[in-house]
This record gives sequence, C-alpha cells and structure tokens, in this order.
Amino acid sequence: MGDYLDIANDPVFFACGAAIILFVLGQAALFTRAAYREGRRLGMERRTLWRSFRAGAISSAVPALAVIVALVTMVPVLGVPVPWIRLSVIGSAPYELMAAGIGAKTMGVNGLGGSGYTAEVFAASVWVMCSGSIWSVLLVAFATKRLKKRVSGSLDKDPAWRNVLMNAAFLGVFSIFIADPIVRGGLPLATLGASALIMALVGLAVSRLKAEWLREFALALSMIGAMGAAALLAPLFS
Amino acid sequence: MITKALSPAEAYENRMHLIGRITLPVGLILTFLPPLILWLRFGILPPGKSLLEGVVGISSVMIPVSIVEVLTFTPILGSAAMYMSYLTGNISNMKLPSAALAMESAGVLPGTKEGDVASTLAIAGSVFASELIIVLGVLLIAPLSARLQTPALKPAFEQVLPALFGAIGAYYIAKSWKLAAAPLAVALLFGFLPGVPTAISIPLCGLASVLAARFLYRKGLAKA
Repeated sequence: MGDYLDIANDPVFFACGAAIILFVLGQAALFTRAAYREGRRLGMERRTLWRSFRAGAISSAVPALAVIVALVTMVPVLGVPVPWIRLSVIGSAPYELMAAGIGAKTMGVNGLGGSGYTAEVFAASVWVMCSGSIWSVLLVAFATKRLKKRVSGSLDKDPAWRNVLMNAAFLGVFSIFIADPIVRGGLPLATLGASALIMALVGLAVSRLKAEWLREFALALSMIGAMGAAALLAPLFS
Repeated sequence: MITKALSPAEAYENRMHLIGRITLPVGLILTFLPPLILWLRFGILPPGKSLLEGVVGISSVMIPVSIVEVLTFTPILGSAAMYMSYLTGNISNMKLPSAALAMESAGVLPGTKEGDVASTLAIAGSVFASELIIVLGVLLIAPLSARLQTPALKPAFEQVLPALFGAIGAYYIAKSWKLAAAPLAVALLFGFLPGVPTAISIPLCGLASVLAARFLYRKGLAKA
C-alpha cells in the first residue's frame, strides 16, 4: 500500500492549485477594474485609488506570512497542495484542521497523520474540508444583493449616522480580538501593548512630521515590531 | 414594459453583483477539484456512509456560523468586498483591517460611495498580495519549514493576532474612544466567560457596539 502523502503531493494537485489561484486573481482583477472606473467617475484622484490598493496589499503582507506558518504546520499531515488551496481560498487553519479531524473521525480514525490514516481517510478529510465552506459561499453569492438593498435603503437618509454606524460595526468585530490578549495576559498582552505603542508612535510621526506616506505602512510596521518584541520577551514569560 | 434607466451608481452596484454571483459559485466548484481528482483519477473515495456523516457533521457546525457571520459582515463590507472576501477567506484577520486602514490612508469615510471604492480596491490589493506571498511560501516550503519552526521565531508567529489587534485597538481608541468603550467592555466580559464561541460573541459584541453608538450619536457625543 502506497503512502497517501505520495498521492497528496502529486503534481496534478499543484496544477489544480495554480488554476484556482489564477481564478481568484482574475476575480480580484475584474473588481479592481470596475472599482477603479467608478472611483474615477466619482472624481477620486488616480493617486488616491492606487494608494488604497497599495495600503490593502501592504497591510496584508504580515498576516499572509502567518498563513504560511499555518501552512507549514499542516503540510506534514496533509501534503502541500491541499493546505495551500484551502488556505488560499475560503478557509483558515483552525477550520481546516477541525474539518479534517471530523473527516478522519467518520472513518474511525482519531487524529491526523499517523498509522491508520490511509489514502481513503485523507480523502474523507478533504471532502469534509470542502463541504463545510459551501454554505457561507452560497449564502454570500445569493443573498448579498438582497441584504445590501435592505441595509442601504434604511441608511441613506442620514449619512453622518451611517458613518458612525460603520465605525461601530468594525469595532464590534475587532473588540473580540483586542480583548482576548488582555484577558489572557502574559506574552499576548505584552505583544498587544507593543503593537499599540508602535501604532501610536507612527500616528504621532504622521501628524507631527506630516509624513502621510507612513500611513500605509502603519499596520505592517506595528505588526513586525510587536512580533519582534514577542520573540525577545518570550523567555520572560515561559 | 417600461425600461427604467439606471443611475451610474446603480449600474456599478449591479455590475459588482453580476461579477460576484458568477465568480463565487464557479470558484466554489473549483475548490472541489482536489476531492474529485482523488476520486476520478486515483479511484479513492470514502464509503458513502462516512461521507454523508462527515458532510452532515461539518454542516451542522457551519450553517449557523455562516448565517451569523454573513449577517455581521454584509453591512460593514461593500458588495464587491463581500464577494472577494468570501472567495479568499481570512476576513477578520486580514480583509477587514486592510479595508479599515486603507479608507483612512485614502482620506475617505466608510459607508460613502468613495469609501466603498477605496475598500474594494484595498481588498483587491490584499487578495493579490496575500495570494502571491502564499505562492512564494509554497515554492520555498522546504527551507521555510526548517526556519519557521526554530524556537526563537515560534513565539513571534504564535502572537500574530495580538500583534495585529494592538495596532487596530490603538487606532480606534485614538479615533473615537467613546465608540470603542462599549464593545471593548462587552468583549472583555466574554473573555472572562470561558467557552463562548466567536460565532455568538462577535455578533453580540457588534450589536452592543451599534446600540451604544446610536445612543452616543443621539446625545451628540459621536461624530463622523
């Protein structure tokens, strides 16, 4: 019986991954073109539009490195192409590991990799990982238009409230992730503090030195600095 | 039948929905290529009973989570941003922070037409950058595996979420600490109650945030 990892790392799956990534980039390109034209129609400057795109790209660089770290932890049990595809499209590492675990369990295998984790169990894991993400994608594909109409209809009357509401909605999601390290204390709290401090310093530099260009780098700089601090401070907390 | 002329803004919205409604289902089908190839090319298919059990198991977790999540994110993200975010994932840890800070650096307000354009471009930028960086990671997977698991670097990557949200927290507290107070207090409360899944805590925190904001706005204490 051949090792399932030989199958999992077969070139055909790499080709598959390449096709999927190209499709994702194609979608992003279509939206970019449409949004760029709309921005120009609204009288926004080329420079502003390009800056938004660049800010999004720069801010995502460090989180993307974290995805690679998650990938590295999944590769020994699931091969390279499947985690690559799953983490590039829809999924996140905790979800994928949970789904892969559920798949293995239905075959009577507890845990991923190891003995008893045959090609068939691997296939069960992959089917479950893919199936779990059907729901959110279909919901977004078919309900967004209707939901949007309802939301915007009630908000267009009061633009100032709309703006406050947006910030409040962003804050609602972010607060959970801000509170978590505070509750856990120790190294997570120290990292949170370091990141907040660097962000504040960058903010000061932007306003005092009129260094507008720094703005797009604010998040990336704070993250790199705070992660460096986490590496340096780790021995104190272990 | 009378054909109603669409305003340019409506035409733009419709165009975004059209692109999204075609690309998202096609993308979903493409993600099933690996299990289909395992089956059709390698002849590996788990028994029907296990397959059914697995699909039912994961769906019973994901259906409620998906409904709540989509209802939470739809008002925050523009239509195009939704379609891109749900095809590529990593929403709360990558797409939302990118969109929030890009609107800041473009000097536009969230919830306006300009804000929608800026956040759409930011999320597109985020998709390009993250997908390409991950591809580089795949190409370099062998040397990276060894490097990234060194003891010195491990804590840095374990703390990636605090490193992200410290900066986000500082940004919002500086911008409007009054708006930040209520959701942070509720989030801390959830933090001390162990075992509440984020599928419940995030929408409740969002609700508290919006209600508090409504109160502050009515009192004239919150400005755009």
